[in-house]
Amino acid sequence: MSAITTIAALPLLIIVLMTTLELGSLRVVAARARSAADLAVLVAVNDQDDGELQRSGTLVAAADAADVARTVFAANLDPLAPFLAATPADVAADAAIQVEPRPATVHLRVTVPVRTPLFGALFFHPITDVAVQANGGAR
Amino acid sequence: MITILIPLLFAVIEFGDVFQRWLAQESATVQVARYAGELGGDAPEVRALLDGSLRSSGIDPSAATVDVTPARVGWREPLTVTVRTNAMVAIPFLFSAAIPLRTSAVVRGELAR
Repeated sequence: MSAITTIAALPLLIIVLMTTLELGSLRVVAARARSAADLAVLVAVNDQDDGELQRSGTLVAAADAADVARTVFAANLDPLAPFLAATPADVAADAAIQVEPRPATVHLRVTVPVRTPLFGALFFHPITDVAVQANGGAR
Repeated sequence: MITILIPLLFAVIEFGDVFQRWLAQESATVQVARYAGELGGDAPEVRALLDGSLRSSGIDPSAATVDVTPARVGWREPLTVTVRTNAMVAIPFLFSAAIPLRTSAVVRGELAR
């Protein structure tokens, strides 16, 4: 009886285990993507307009702050490339980055497509979109 | 049944621990990269901050490998901090192994030389 129960329950147990692992992996990738976005925004908001700072002492975002955010975001997503359904450069290119010069503030919103092959096999959901948002301001 | 359930239970616990450790290491790496950017590259203060962050997360800093490249950067030059450690995973009746964890963060130098 015990052997039959084991054999019957084994596929279910393995599926539960694999789903748990994939969910855990998805959470890690999502957390690392958010961390990459935070860092990108932080670096971009520190990209100050030097001329304005010297002239008036005001913190104003540099003209290339959005490009800086995109570049740094792509660079920090790079270690996650094997887990993503698009290249880090493409994900960063699709990011909506809004720069407000006064006060210097950078907002980043992006959807990161993460590969979830097991979810694909079980629930027909091979790519899971993770919404990421980061905001930073110079004060 | 028990010989299957116990390894499964340990697998969930062990991999959960590895994920938690990975996130803690990632967070420490980001903080250290920010600090290295402010100081303009590698410095004893950067290593001390990393040691403290790893230790508070339960990771032995003496077993971690840290690369700060380049070691010295100027204003707005890219700086990469990479931290490598090994996480031990032991699942009864199945295996035990060291899983390499690599985290990195890219920032820009914030020190005008």
